[in-house]
Amino acid sequence: MAESPARTAFAEEALTHLDTLYRGALRLTRDPDQAQDLVQEAYLRALRYQHSYQAGTNMKAWLFAIMRNLFWDRFKGSRKEDVSLDDVGEFVLYEKLRDEGARPEADVLDKLAASEVVEAVEKLPPLHREVVLLVDVEGFSYKDAAQALGVPIGTVMSRLHRARQQLQKSLYDYALESGIVRGSNNNQVHE
Amino acid sequence: MDCPDCKEKLDRYVDRELSSTEVLELQLHLEGCPDCSDQYEFQAHLKRLVKHSCDCDSAPAAFREKLRQILT
Repeated sequence: MAESPARTAFAEEALTHLDTLYRGALRLTRDPDQAQDLVQEAYLRALRYQHSYQAGTNMKAWLFAIMRNLFWDRFKGSRKEDVSLDDVGEFVLYEKLRDEGARPEADVLDKLAASEVVEAVEKLPPLHREVVLLVDVEGFSYKDAAQALGVPIGTVMSRLHRARQQLQKSLYDYALESGIVRGSNNNQVHE
Repeated sequence: MDCPDCKEKLDRYVDRELSSTEVLELQLHLEGCPDCSDQYEFQAHLKRLVKHSCDCDSAPAAFREKLRQILT
């Protein structure tokens, strides 16, 4: 059955955001097949609720909201399953490396493999992972991220801050384990 | 602006979330403070590293076509 031109136009516009949704789904599920199932279901739901999309607003944020809500409903069962971040305190990787006498950019960032960075992102609990995906990977503003996640902007900022602390701690631990940096006994990170 | 103020705002500066007035104040501080300037460069570099490490995946072509068939 031929679809209406309006529906086709809506679908075509929505498909321009497919890579963002697929990357987000892939990082949330960590499984390409589950990511495709999640994205397909999100697009079908988006078409079903097309009338609730307000033209001129951010379609990418609207679609991401549908996708991540499906993820929480379907793949995780309950938001309560989200694991809290370890309390790493105020961990600032730049200061840690500088205090240890390393050149933070040249000695460390330039030597980190992309796969290690992806692993550090995927180790974040989903509630914190998704805000890093939106703001750091997809370039969402705090306002658009808040819309996609259904939370206040202040929550986006606090989750992002904690996620970045944890991410920096993971990258530091990797740099230590792989010998990229040599932590001194006096400067070991306290758990 | 002093160093603690600057460091407190660096995340929002890197994320382009400061007002134009705050941006000017912060840039003035960065010009005269090598330590904060280095930390800013580090944070901006780290953000780029996260982006480039995670955004290389795109939807497979066959999946894109399948969706287009289903949706349009």
